Amino acid sequence: MSATSGVSSAPAVIAVENVTIAYGDNVVQKDVSFEVRRGEVFVILGGSGCGKSSLLKNMIGLYRPVTGRILFDGEDIVTAEGEDRLRLLRKFGVMYQSGALFGSMNVLENVRLPLDEFTDLGAEEKDLVAAAKLNQVGLLPAAARKPSALSGGMQKRAGIARAMALDPGILFLDEPSAGLDPINSAGLDQTIRELSRGLGITFVVVTHELQSIYAIADRCIMLDARTKTMIAEGKPAELRDHATDPYVRQFFLRQAEPAADDGSKGSRTS
Amino acid sequence: MSVSRPSPDSAETPVRVELRPGSGGVSVLAVSGRLDVSTAAEARDVALEHLAGFRGAALEVDASGIERGDVSGLSLLYELAGGRLAPGVRARITGLRPELAHLLAAFPTEEAFAALEAAPPTRPFLEEIGAATRSMFLDVRAQAMFIGAVVQGFAAALRRPRLMRWREVGVVFEKAGVNALPIVSLISLLMGLVIAFEAAQPLEMFGAQIFIADMIGLVMVREFSPIFTAIILAGRSGAAFAAEIGTMKVNEELDALETMGLDPVRFLVIQRIFAATLLMPVLTAYSMLVGVFGGVLVMLTMGFPLAQIWAQLHGALGVHDVLVGAASRSCSGRSSRDSGACAACRRRKGPTPWVIRRPGPSSPGFS
Repeated sequence: MSATSGVSSAPAVIAVENVTIAYGDNVVQKDVSFEVRRGEVFVILGGSGCGKSSLLKNMIGLYRPVTGRILFDGEDIVTAEGEDRLRLLRKFGVMYQSGALFGSMNVLENVRLPLDEFTDLGAEEKDLVAAAKLNQVGLLPAAARKPSALSGGMQKRAGIARAMALDPGILFLDEPSAGLDPINSAGLDQTIRELSRGLGITFVVVTHELQSIYAIADRCIMLDARTKTMIAEGKPAELRDHATDPYVRQFFLRQAEPAADDGSKGSRTS
Repeated sequence: MSVSRPSPDSAETPVRVELRPGSGGVSVLAVSGRLDVSTAAEARDVALEHLAGFRGAALEVDASGIERGDVSGLSLLYELAGGRLAPGVRARITGLRPELAHLLAAFPTEEAFAALEAAPPTRPFLEEIGAATRSMFLDVRAQAMFIGAVVQGFAAALRRPRLMRWREVGVVFEKAGVNALPIVSLISLLMGLVIAFEAAQPLEMFGAQIFIADMIGLVMVREFSPIFTAIILAGRSGAAFAAEIGTMKVNEELDALETMGLDPVRFLVIQRIFAATLLMPVLTAYSMLVGVFGGVLVMLTMGFPLAQIWAQLHGALGVHDVLVGAASRSCSGRSSRDSGACAACRRRKGPTPWVIRRPGPSSPGFS
């Protein structure tokens, strides 16, 4: 995957500044800072339980970080309330791990729901726009089906279509490849690439699927459960080839944990 | 002829839609500015105004002035190109920026959209009635099988009481019983107060206010306490059981039990039904006490001495009344909870968990 041209110099759309995430006394991540640039596919990596999904939920305003700011075009979602918060929420769409489609509605109605609630388009236009969204993720033939009649990959694609319903500039995807077979997973990666290149949508993706990371990521950060910090930031291929942190190397080379920890953590790469 | 309306979100770059004559009898509809989700409805209204009396031979849409756009906005161009806004005239779109043309290409072809719009065939009325009747009988069968499985489970538990998981019985007793005390107290106390208060005035006309004690005693003990406790228990605890076991079904916990060779009815349902059956008379007795207490409170405020009220109650009520009240409703309360648990067990896992599946032959009520 080549980085989208111009991304490296693009301005930051999301800035995470010194964010600390904790559940009660249990600190998950300390002092995380990074920027997501306009138009890039930004991947948050890390092993199980390192706080990837927690970070994502903080970024989309579901949870509040203990400290720090999360800025969308300079506006902090942590402190925003009322109309300001709604305006910030309209800037992005979210695809949840299982698609989170509403079971009582068919796929088209699921995608149309945000249009029904937030636009004054006519009924026919809403159907048209929802159909276009489904067409973009290759799901138009399944428009009339209920979510229960879709496969896992189709549910995730429908989740992306719903997240895109209001044409947000940013899409958050939580574990898009989890539970999918390689073919479906590759199909989803391709959809993400097409949307990123064709429409210039900024993606923030949480995943730990190596192949998916290489296929889609322009840049990534890596979180570590043991140090509870961000231990790497950069392009996936660079991290794989040049990382000095043994954990980052292990992750990218898909190596098992050594039997005995030698205690040397090495210098952190960035 | 130009109409432009600033939309609330885009005061700086409103959308502009103008109709002007072009060369060779072709009319040109020029769209410019910001054509996105916030301006799409406005732009469409203006375009419809322009095209209301359109009699031209051909229409061209000059899209070169569109600075920003999204799929919602471009639905206008799609509709114009498909002849949806000016009947019989399919507009030619010109000058659209490449990135916007990419968005326009996302719209499905007319054939694909037409196929989408085809409504699913509705079932004839008679067929609906037939399907509903069949579904009802299948539900009755599922209930019967479930009751059979419960009886079987109880029989097994009687033979080997260790199988009962008594700790779970205790937990259910606390959740469905002790935790239900506040709501039972509230309703019973209010019933007692209200009945006594409302009866006081008519009885006063006959100088028979002392008989409020008889009335409150009989009404609460024989009728209202059993009925309302049963409703509270079935509604509150039955729904909680259904939600709890339904969630377990969705999380594949019931499947795990089955593959471990454990019967979910014996493992989960028996304890709940056993605990709830024991709870019913206890809660009913408690409700009777609180209800009568409410009535007594009203009588005390009216100046009757406690001893007199007590003597009146004692004369009106016998142990027989209490037993009839407590026993008659425990059955109805239990059957309501049975059906709650039964419906929960038949819920299906997956994204739409609340679709009831038909019971399979191997495990009644747990398909």
